[in-house]
Amino acid sequence: MISFSEIKLKEVEQIIARYPHGKQKSALLPVLHLAQDQFGGWLDTPVMDYVASLLAIEPIEVYEVASFYSMYNLKPVGKYIFEVCQTGPCMLNGSDQIIDYIKQKLNIGAGETTADGMFTLKTVECLGACGYAPMMQLGKTYRELLTKEKVDSIVEECRNKAAINN
Amino acid sequence: MARKLLLDKVNVPGIRSYEVYRREGGYRSVEKALKMVPADIVEEVKKSGLRGRGGAGFPTGMKWSFLAKPEGVARYLVCNADESEPGTFKDRYLMEFIPHLLIEGMIASSFALGSNTSYIYIRGEYAWITDILENAIAEAKQNGFLGKNILGSGFDCELYVQRGAGAYICGEETALLESLEGKRGNPRIKPPFPAIKGLWDCPTVVNNVETIAAVVPILNEGGEEYAKIGVGKSTGTKLISACGNINKPGIYEIDMTISVEEFIFSDEYCGGIPNGKRLKACIPGGSSVPILPANLLLTTAKGEKRLMNYESLSDGGFATGSMMGSGGFIVLDEDQCVVRNTMTFARFYHHESCGQCSPCREGTGWMERVLKKIENGKGEMKDIDLLWDIQRKIEGNTICPLGDAAAWPVAAAIRHFRDEFEWHVLNPEKCLTENFGLRHYADPIHVPA
Repeated sequence: MISFSEIKLKEVEQIIARYPHGKQKSALLPVLHLAQDQFGGWLDTPVMDYVASLLAIEPIEVYEVASFYSMYNLKPVGKYIFEVCQTGPCMLNGSDQIIDYIKQKLNIGAGETTADGMFTLKTVECLGACGYAPMMQLGKTYRELLTKEKVDSIVEECRNKAAINN
Repeated sequence: MARKLLLDKVNVPGIRSYEVYRREGGYRSVEKALKMVPADIVEEVKKSGLRGRGGAGFPTGMKWSFLAKPEGVARYLVCNADESEPGTFKDRYLMEFIPHLLIEGMIASSFALGSNTSYIYIRGEYAWITDILENAIAEAKQNGFLGKNILGSGFDCELYVQRGAGAYICGEETALLESLEGKRGNPRIKPPFPAIKGLWDCPTVVNNVETIAAVVPILNEGGEEYAKIGVGKSTGTKLISACGNINKPGIYEIDMTISVEEFIFSDEYCGGIPNGKRLKACIPGGSSVPILPANLLLTTAKGEKRLMNYESLSDGGFATGSMMGSGGFIVLDEDQCVVRNTMTFARFYHHESCGQCSPCREGTGWMERVLKKIENGKGEMKDIDLLWDIQRKIEGNTICPLGDAAAWPVAAAIRHFRDEFEWHVLNPEKCLTENFGLRHYADPIHVPA
């Protein structure tokens, strides 16, 4: 049975309280973020159904939102997702080369996950870091002014973190 | 050195905290506003000449005065922090480094508009900034600037941050409201405008982060004083986010009287182009606005020095000018390929089209595919005309401005750099390993470096 922890349920309540009575559907985007964080980094159908029940809306209302926004993953992803920007300003500063380097280093294509389930590479569109290009999003933060060496150290850092957590 | 109104305190150590921000004179505008009649605040903003800083440049005071005020119906102020226009990263800087400025502006503006619950809708990827803003809101509340009966004025106001989840289209104000209601970001048909029917069908004002922040100095110094800065209908200061091939990318607060040339080449701003390269082209206001070749960028068709303001950047219309847009200033040096750059923008708009209107949904993908074909040396001459035809059929034929935003960069690239597109078609092998460079210019040696 899928369920948020007590603490997360409190958080959901607080989010719903931000909107007028009866407008709890407004909580959908924030609650989907919580759900994705809690349930393995992606939104499986039972998870979306659970969110629908929490907000007293139809499951289809959740599916149509989850499939619209690029930050929601509708299939399993690696432990660490490299979301590398490829739009104009990043391209002008060499994002194509960085993407190629990551593909080669991790031996995966864009949209793929390494066999050990550690890394997913996603090419994304402008993340608002154009002055610090090339860049990628990793979890909650941005990694900017990327070089091949920086990519090496980020991969290393993720592997170390994963080893400690195991 | 230009006068700074928004970022003058950004380098004060600890300015992110309420304590330091307050000590430096923060929240005075709220104290002042709460003693005023709301309609007088709207008048001050009108007098200031402030124009919406999100990209459209619509007069803020006028937008505020359109807000309907039916008896017994809630009104809302929503801040648009969904900064997503390629080349634009100014709101992020303001929120990250001086968050209380936005919170202060939101409280004063909420009072002016009669909004007792206001929202900041921030793009989902700015997750760490959400934490910074929520922390600032909690501090403001602890110190009596939010909540019930603010400073004993009888005015109640709550402020919440709502995170999006990755969708450029949510920067369009009606798509933003749909998203805030927990739906897909599909823009609404206007009218009715949000000022009449906005969030949950209630009267709503949606303003950009920088616009709301500018209300603080307008209230502190008065609308007339604010209007003295700048030139013509470009009053006050503007944040420019500079990127691409320049020595000093970053955020600059300018007073809209400086020239484009000074902005690119002086050490106070972009510091010129790295490695002694020459200036090939520039997109001065975010990816949607027309790209200009160096000559038309620095000098208008009339031969005047082009300035960094609304009127001068658009001088000559789309034939020879561009737009101020969001202030996302993207510089291309001589090694850059205009076709490839345009292709990345077409891919962007294809990815971000919400899919409601066929011309945009189908047209953006079509443009991306044709541009890829030309870029990869597989294009034919008729593809260039086809591209022109597609963009013309998108522009003006969609519910929201995303269609126009997708059409304009393609149109301008062909208008000004058709020779580069043709060169790709004529040199299918060479274009894979070599760039067109500055061949567009009759006299490349005189292109500024």
